[in-house]
Amino acid sequence: MEYDLIIIGAGPAGITAGIYAARQKLNTLLITKSFGGQVARKAVAIENYPGFEEISGLELIQRFEKHLRKHKIEIVRDSVTKIEKINKKFLVFIKGKPKFQSKAVIVASGADPRPLELPGEKKFIGKGVSYCTACDAALFKNKTVAVIGGGNAGFEAAIFLAKYAKKIYILESAPQVRATPINQERVKKIKKIKVITNAILKKIKGKEFVDSIVYQNQKTKKIKTLSLEGVFIEIGSQPAVSFVKSLVEFNEKNEIKVNPSTLQTKTPGFFAAGDVSDGKYKQIVIAAGQGAIAILSAYDYLQKLK
Amino acid sequence: MPKVRVFTTISCPYCFTLKEFLKEKGIEFEEIDVSKDERAREELIKKTGKFVVPIIEIDGQIVIGFDKEKICQLLNIKD
Repeated sequence: MEYDLIIIGAGPAGITAGIYAARQKLNTLLITKSFGGQVARKAVAIENYPGFEEISGLELIQRFEKHLRKHKIEIVRDSVTKIEKINKKFLVFIKGKPKFQSKAVIVASGADPRPLELPGEKKFIGKGVSYCTACDAALFKNKTVAVIGGGNAGFEAAIFLAKYAKKIYILESAPQVRATPINQERVKKIKKIKVITNAILKKIKGKEFVDSIVYQNQKTKKIKTLSLEGVFIEIGSQPAVSFVKSLVEFNEKNEIKVNPSTLQTKTPGFFAAGDVSDGKYKQIVIAAGQGAIAILSAYDYLQKLK
Repeated sequence: MPKVRVFTTISCPYCFTLKEFLKEKGIEFEEIDVSKDERAREELIKKTGKFVVPIIEIDGQIVIGFDKEKICQLLNIKD
């Protein structure tokens, strides 16, 4: 069967595109591993999505999903491995085999946590090293932990960890933290959080589990060791784009280059929305807005095909 | 019916997805919220050597994370 449109990913961008597509009566398929992406993983409440003064990421996504499922839209839970364009048609591969075909595609596959790529990091994943504070924080009750990254994600992770851990260090490699004033004020009020700037993490150590980290002070060049049991890595994200390589161009951050007014990539009929695209700002409300732009552009594209 | 236990924390999105999947497939399971149950937390860490959720135990066999293929295989169901 051939679809008008295939949407890949079900975060704010993919879900918004799905809702619009259903209302435009496009024959649409949405393919996703799971719902929510980074929003569902958010450790602290969301306070900047209009209409919700305070809502958890998981709850906001559940509402998004419920709204989407109110409409007639086919959803397949799986991972796309490749997309090809042959004679104005897109061929979408699942597990290496061509499975679905469509006239247009919106990629809204979001981003995954960026690893540090440090000695010890991989070995200790699930043994003290975590990329999902919302998931694993509760396992570190009364333990000492570090959050790597002094941006908003790092500060929010530390605030969430403060519910469980007895001591939390935030390590930021720059001389100053990048978190918003609201997050900085909140962290200041929590005595058991200590912010260390100019700190370059060098090594994660341990036997079976993590027992310490080693960092260097960028200014003084002194090497220091912190004894702790958990390391939460919050240094940003990398776009999930491995399956689209031949159809698009990437910027230096490996984000998909799009026309900012239509969100079309270099391939006609192929659009990218949300954190996977090269938009400067990554926000839930922006991702949702981009989902709407991409679907409206795709609709125009499909009309012209007729 | 296999004996299924799911170790979770309250705020973990993958735990939620895993539970929804089991419900969808009509699989009965016991949920253990390790953020509330300290003994279960220690048991989980000892048993799996991991500080991570979700973990699912199917008739004594441990699967770490929402590994759909492995879970389907152990439960003898199709996705």
